[in-house]
Amino acid sequence: MAPGFNPVDFAVPGFILLVLIEMVWARRKSPDAYEPRDTLTSLAMGLGSSVAGLLTAGLVGAVFLWLYQFRLFDIPWTWWAWALCFVLDDLAYYVFHRTAHRVRWFWASHVNHHSSQHYNLSTALRQTWTGTIAFGFIFRLPLLLIGFPPAMIFFCAGLNLIYQFWFHTEAIKQCPRWFEAVMNTPSHHRVHHATNPIYLDRNYAGVFIVWDRMFGTFQAEQDDQQIRYGIVRQLGSFNLLWVAFHEWIAIARDVWSAPWGSKLGYLWRPPGWSHDGSRDTSDALRTRWQALQPAPPAE
Amino acid sequence: MLLQLAQLGVSLAAILLLAWIARKLRLGEDVRIAGEEHARRLAEEAICGFAAKDLALDRAGIGALLRDTQGRVLLLRRHGAHFAARLLDSHAFARLDRNLLTIGTGEQTFGTITLDLGDQAQVWASSLRRLGN
Repeated sequence: MAPGFNPVDFAVPGFILLVLIEMVWARRKSPDAYEPRDTLTSLAMGLGSSVAGLLTAGLVGAVFLWLYQFRLFDIPWTWWAWALCFVLDDLAYYVFHRTAHRVRWFWASHVNHHSSQHYNLSTALRQTWTGTIAFGFIFRLPLLLIGFPPAMIFFCAGLNLIYQFWFHTEAIKQCPRWFEAVMNTPSHHRVHHATNPIYLDRNYAGVFIVWDRMFGTFQAEQDDQQIRYGIVRQLGSFNLLWVAFHEWIAIARDVWSAPWGSKLGYLWRPPGWSHDGSRDTSDALRTRWQALQPAPPAE
Repeated sequence: MLLQLAQLGVSLAAILLLAWIARKLRLGEDVRIAGEEHARRLAEEAICGFAAKDLALDRAGIGALLRDTQGRVLLLRRHGAHFAARLLDSHAFARLDRNLLTIGTGEQTFGTITLDLGDQAQVWASSLRRLGN
């Protein structure tokens, strides 16, 4: 987030209060929904992410302001511009998020958010420290070049982030059907955080789940699939620095040891890809899982 | 700058307070492997298609070793309120002390775990030593 008015700053006290309320709910209904060391790791990742954001805000702001001079249109500060900016920013988020799961370079930054085996409101705050240096902000540049003012884009991005907080919970099972049809909800996002093969790389939406429905990446939560959260190869560690940098270190090792012709593949191919086929991508895991499912009974 | 440092300090205090509250509320405590079926299910969840042929459970249920039909050996260990798993390879090491088998994966952050495997400890120790050869 670049300098200027940031709505997330004003939402933080609300985040803390809601985490507290969810903990009390967990005590009564689901004591395993939280684990103190996991919670501490998630919240510390969130704090570190804020610090990283502050340190890099000037750079991102400068890039946005410089590129803004090449805009195609002068979009005014009117209500429809705000609405359009919010919707298009959410589409940009969908593209970013999908890429962050399908290109290992961006995954190395985004994996932090998925590395908890819990799914609660503190998980929402488990954010990356390396988003800017991974160039995650480039996905919002098209909005800038269209002509949306940088401050409008940053504000909408902040609102988007605030919306994404509340649905990181198991406390809410289902929302009204019309809401589930259009908006991202706890149910849809639980699927996104799951490691069950049927759920891998699905539901990338930020605010509007319609993007997943439109682009073929939607998967509904199923009653017969108990969700397991985290990443395919669970970290097994609460070490903060390892949580923040483990995938970057793994990439560096892979690039170092790979044959020359395969080095770049470890940067731009999907997580789990390997030059010798010794690892599994999400697609490979899903295919294997489907092959292991019992055939439906003959009629 | 001073304001930002103050914000940082307050945020850090809030984080520590929330983690302390989670501990005081006794959230996420004491998860154990309930039995062989539970261990098999955890292994299959960790490695899609892992069908355990042999297994040894820690007496307290904090971990397990499983071998599948392909000869792969999987270490299951408690991690917080859940479990994490690693396939053991030539980087793994095992140290036997009577019924206690201490196993490391070679992955520093995953750590080592000492399993009480009873009279199976020696058999599995030999088996793990063969992985290194």
